[in-house]
Amino acid sequence: MITIALPKGGLLEDSIRLLKSVGLDFSLFLDSANRQLEIWDTTHTAKALLVRNYDVSVYVEYGQAQLGIVGYDILREKQPQVAHLVDLGFGQCRMSVAVKQTSPYRSAIELPPHSRVASKFVNCARDYFEQLDLPVEIIPLYGSVELGPITGMSEAIVDLVASGRTLKENNLLEIDRLFESTARLIAHPLSYRLGMDDLHSVIEALRAATLVTQ
Amino acid sequence: MVHQSPAGTRDLLPLDVAQKRWVEERLQDVFHRWGYQRIITSTLERMDTLMAGGAIEASTVIQLQQVDDEVLGLRPELTASVARAAVTRLAAVTHPQRLYYNANVFRRANRGEHNRQLEFYQAGVELLGAAGVAADAEILLLLADCLNQLALGQWHLVLGEAGLTQSLLSVFPEGLRQQVRRSIAQLDRLAIEALPLSHQLKQHALLLLDLRGRPADVLQRVSTLALTDEQRAIVTTLKSLIDLLSSCYSSVGSIDASPNLILDLSLIRPFDYYTGIVFEVVGGEGGRRVLGQGGRYDRLLGLYHPKGDTRPGIGFVLNSDELHQVLLTTGQLPDQTPTNRWLIVPATADDYRAAFAYAQKIRESTNLVQVEVDLGGRDRSESVQTYAQQRGISQIAWINSTGTPRIESLGARIY
Repeated sequence: MITIALPKGGLLEDSIRLLKSVGLDFSLFLDSANRQLEIWDTTHTAKALLVRNYDVSVYVEYGQAQLGIVGYDILREKQPQVAHLVDLGFGQCRMSVAVKQTSPYRSAIELPPHSRVASKFVNCARDYFEQLDLPVEIIPLYGSVELGPITGMSEAIVDLVASGRTLKENNLLEIDRLFESTARLIAHPLSYRLGMDDLHSVIEALRAATLVTQ
Repeated sequence: MVHQSPAGTRDLLPLDVAQKRWVEERLQDVFHRWGYQRIITSTLERMDTLMAGGAIEASTVIQLQQVDDEVLGLRPELTASVARAAVTRLAAVTHPQRLYYNANVFRRANRGEHNRQLEFYQAGVELLGAAGVAADAEILLLLADCLNQLALGQWHLVLGEAGLTQSLLSVFPEGLRQQVRRSIAQLDRLAIEALPLSHQLKQHALLLLDLRGRPADVLQRVSTLALTDEQRAIVTTLKSLIDLLSSCYSSVGSIDASPNLILDLSLIRPFDYYTGIVFEVVGGEGGRRVLGQGGRYDRLLGLYHPKGDTRPGIGFVLNSDELHQVLLTTGQLPDQTPTNRWLIVPATADDYRAAFAYAQKIRESTNLVQVEVDLGGRDRSESVQTYAQQRGISQIAWINSTGTPRIESLGARIY
């Protein structure tokens, strides 16, 4: 039996649509009345776990789920030991550096040394500024990162940007991009090597379904 | 103040020890039957000894500063120590040498890992000074014997050939080869797709990443590649090893005896440590645990030799903690410590001489009995029986000053 870890939030609907196209129907997760976190697909061939985006790779790394769907941003941030199999194409966004519109800085490298940068993605932010050879203080936040520059706690933020609307509404300006992100299909490395329960045919079906939509 | 053990370490209480010994005794018995002798090396090694093979990064070792500024590390594995000892201390011994160990190892937790285990136990073997199919087969059959003695149920042997895979990677331009190798080792298909390689090379890399499955199928797929003579020779040797293993596995008879063998040519480390076959033992529910790993390292011994003389070597290690976790679910491990069979109770405080004498007499009987002398400190005779029952004691001997015992059997009352 295959277990698939699915992310709550923005990627869920596309993930469920994709799985449905290969015959695994987990639409129950989209029903607002549903409170179950672990469900079977309607043909009873696979199970799905509904977990936080940030936790998908954890379930896959420990082998509780053989497959998972997760944003590349999370994979970059957490560097989990999982097999990266398919770029699913949906959930497009980018990891960006943003400052207040009134800020004098127009690129990350212009930020004065020892500036404060607020981010949920502390590892991505640290690696990026290390690569720029710019020493900064990273302030870890767990949400509403935009408040960092608004309140003056930090000069800049590193955060995910999809449409850019949140930034605009909070008078922030995107000044640099770290990387682009999309949803990825990942697998537990040992399960991938063993290939039990017809895991590979599910992976190939998902790959084929992805190529059709792209 | 409360004294706790450091985060990531643990104490083994008597029941844990009984279970650990259950596993160790079975493994040692197999090692002895295959002619392997135990070696005990130092827990502390110089950092350069630990890192010589290229497989260990300094950041994963718990290091200790010495007075004279020499940096020592707690061993994270034993092959380096065994290799060092074999080359420098056992140089004059006839080869091949068959050595085994059963020891604790230490690994530093990475950043962001909370209370991760720091101390582990490992049991493993090293077969030094022997190359070829027979030596490889001995190690893999010994491994199968170990797992069968533990009756672990279904297990998988993922088998690779580091020499062959390394050689197949030589077509990649030098600047990208290491990245291709790392991506294959980590099963990162998307990283390969993003590399600036020609379409043909990219397809070759993706083929290597998925070059696994039933041995016959994989060998068939490999032989369709454009191979050099050297590569073809490795494939032929690999095929004879697999043929030999399959016929040996099936001659053992029991279904349990043979692992699910997966030939996996993507099983490679990011560094050059192994030179020939390389393998992982996978087991537990749904195949989630790496129970052991090993491989051939024909260049390692030379790194420890003053003149660089090298000898072939191959070995494996079983991760005792993982075995323990799997065995806990099979219900084979002892669930209580060996019971103390006898309790000797002196009638009064003056009767200890007689009590100790009687206890010694019973201890010396032919069958192993466990005898403890009651140390007193109780008010009523009732509590002696309660104590005995709690300890799983079956016989109480009451001793008076004449040394005559009155035996009380609790057998029926044990629960």
